[in-house]
Amino acid sequence: MAWQYGWQFFIYAVCLEVKMSNNFNIEGGHFVNDKGVVLENKNLLIIDGKVLFSPPPSKRDSHITKINAQNKFILPGLVDMRCHIGSTTSENIKMINLSATKGGFTSLLAMPDFTTIADNPGAVRLIKDSVKKESNISIHATGCITTQAEGERLAPLGSLKEAGIVAVTDCPRCPQNNEIFAKGIEYAKMFNLPVIELPREYTLSKDGAAHDGPVALKMGVKPFPRTAEEMFVQRAIILSKYINTPIHLSSISSRGSVDLIRIAKQNGVRITADVTSHHLLLTEKSILGYETNCKTSPPLRQEEDRISLLEALIDGTIDGICSSHQPVPNHKKDIEFDLSPCGVLGLSTALPVAHRALSKYCEEKQIMGLITRTMTIAPSNIMGLEKEFIEEGKKADLIIYDPRKEWEYNPSDECPEIMNSPFIGKTIKGKVEKTFANGSLVYSSN
Amino acid sequence: MKGWSRKSLLGLEEMNPEEIIFLLDKAKEFKSILSQKGSSLESLNGKRIINLFMEPSTRTRIAFEVAAKTLSADIISIAESSSSLTKGETLRDTALNIQALGADAIVIRHSSPGSALFLSKTIDVPIINAGDGAHEHPSQALLDIYTLRDNLGSLEGKNITILGDILFSRVARSNLWGLSKLGANVTFAGPSTLVPKDFEELGAKVTHNLENALDGADAVMLLRIQHERQSTSHFPSLSEYTKIFGLSSDHEKILDSKALILHPGPINRGVEIDSTLADCSRSLILEQVSNGVAVRMAILYLCCMS
Repeated sequence: MAWQYGWQFFIYAVCLEVKMSNNFNIEGGHFVNDKGVVLENKNLLIIDGKVLFSPPPSKRDSHITKINAQNKFILPGLVDMRCHIGSTTSENIKMINLSATKGGFTSLLAMPDFTTIADNPGAVRLIKDSVKKESNISIHATGCITTQAEGERLAPLGSLKEAGIVAVTDCPRCPQNNEIFAKGIEYAKMFNLPVIELPREYTLSKDGAAHDGPVALKMGVKPFPRTAEEMFVQRAIILSKYINTPIHLSSISSRGSVDLIRIAKQNGVRITADVTSHHLLLTEKSILGYETNCKTSPPLRQEEDRISLLEALIDGTIDGICSSHQPVPNHKKDIEFDLSPCGVLGLSTALPVAHRALSKYCEEKQIMGLITRTMTIAPSNIMGLEKEFIEEGKKADLIIYDPRKEWEYNPSDECPEIMNSPFIGKTIKGKVEKTFANGSLVYSSN
Repeated sequence: MKGWSRKSLLGLEEMNPEEIIFLLDKAKEFKSILSQKGSSLESLNGKRIINLFMEPSTRTRIAFEVAAKTLSADIISIAESSSSLTKGETLRDTALNIQALGADAIVIRHSSPGSALFLSKTIDVPIINAGDGAHEHPSQALLDIYTLRDNLGSLEGKNITILGDILFSRVARSNLWGLSKLGANVTFAGPSTLVPKDFEELGAKVTHNLENALDGADAVMLLRIQHERQSTSHFPSLSEYTKIFGLSSDHEKILDSKALILHPGPINRGVEIDSTLADCSRSLILEQVSNGVAVRMAILYLCCMS
């Protein structure tokens, strides 16, 4: 019997999809354009998957699903510059896809630390095939700078580019050997491949699991000091300047890094940077009680760092916000703090978390413009990705966001075995209600 | 139990002064019983206590064994090399197994900070922290505080200097919480690489000058230089450490005539302390060891009976 009902549901779902998929009239609200400017929405339609500002005569009588967007915002789909997918199994890709669309991401960069690490063209093709099969958003592959991300030998960047990577990085690792890193950047420049670095000097941060401050000292946890990050931020700035090539610094966490980047940008160095959404809202205090779900790399730091990161985001020193989404199974987080791996979930909460962090500094419309600039425009530009904005005739790649909707975040809705979020069980204000990618509705909260 | 409601003893940071005094008073009762030779108590008869020691220990493990046996409890000691943890079992699973075997309390020593708290959240059995990484070592600090009170009376306004490898020391941290709660002024002293300034935010005074640290101290607690925890070089050599921070008879002239010397052991004679000073009349080192049994009896009794 069960299978009969299963089929009926499937057919119903398919019909619903067909009925729902192509034609929508989004009424009211505001939308954000490709410059991050917030405009009043008068008549935004999605007809046959394309954005139109007035319906074509042929479609006037056909069925159009109305979506009420009063007091809501219509933003271009978000782009994530740091996401760790882990395995290429179809279940896993589907789960990532769900988290991403639930959080409003329609495009993301998968870091190369898959179970089969992306340091060779075969691995990249495997990743791309898996993603193509199981995902309805754009998941871009990145490749390692060095083989196995071990920092000792250059990976075949040219072949990796041919296999379809969009950027190179050893994230979540960081090449320690200056010569290898410098050569890697120079070599990547030849292929026009953006370089992403997660700055961390290892000798100063060996086994470091928390910010080097009173909290780590009290807890007896080994530190990851600011110096370990800032030293390699400075290294990236120097190399970017002398090799004259852009370097993107991922997940900046310290005030000192912000200062270095600000000066470098003023001097015309081609450096860009992002920050994770959770570093904008949380501090080192979150790990008190040995909360493994708040153990991140880089670690959560102090209030002065958090404020500096927010200010840098607002003044443009920091270009983007990433999710640094990293699923870790419960059994690997439910262990001793120092033995537990770093990493937290971020895709489905990044937007409302960043929104909340910014809400003390800017008013709502400014925040939505800033969100689009830092979570869509800058990531696409830095990584050289093609992006569909909310423009006449473009494929629908947008989200509808209710900034006032409160909801309880429960990661078990996405996967009960993976719940490593600092926001588990918390009430979150702001919710993505609908996500359109490649012209189709791929997520609806209703 | 009136005056005590804790099931587990995870650290001194979370305890209030009244609880600390209550426990120390209980230890005093046990010490007076212990002083009557051959005496033992039936208080924990039938209770099964597991000593789960995932790091090497001699005195703490033995002190808990003696304390448990004196209270007529059954105590089983498990060392890392004989446990399933060496076969890849997680601490969580080991603890669940021990709980299933009917343990009434677990005394745990582990290299991971927070491991005692982790166990207390995982299983419904009293957990006694016998040292978790560089976090806390409450039973050691309680016996240090017991010994100090026994010799100095009230600790209100007393100046206690803790000297040596503070960064890696759980003993220093637990003593800081306990001594501060009882009104003492705690100074951490040692090389800047082992005594970061951030300790001031936790309430300690920090100095890198030995003479300043000794001047006006009512007691000096020396800590062992823990080679095994120092992943990088925090000072050039043991001989240089001894030259600059080792306590020698030369310091007698700075020390107050009544100032006491403590050391949680094991002592590196000739490194952090001169051999003659370790054995002099100021030294309470062996008194600490014998007080350790009474304090651990009080801990086991209160945690098992609450």
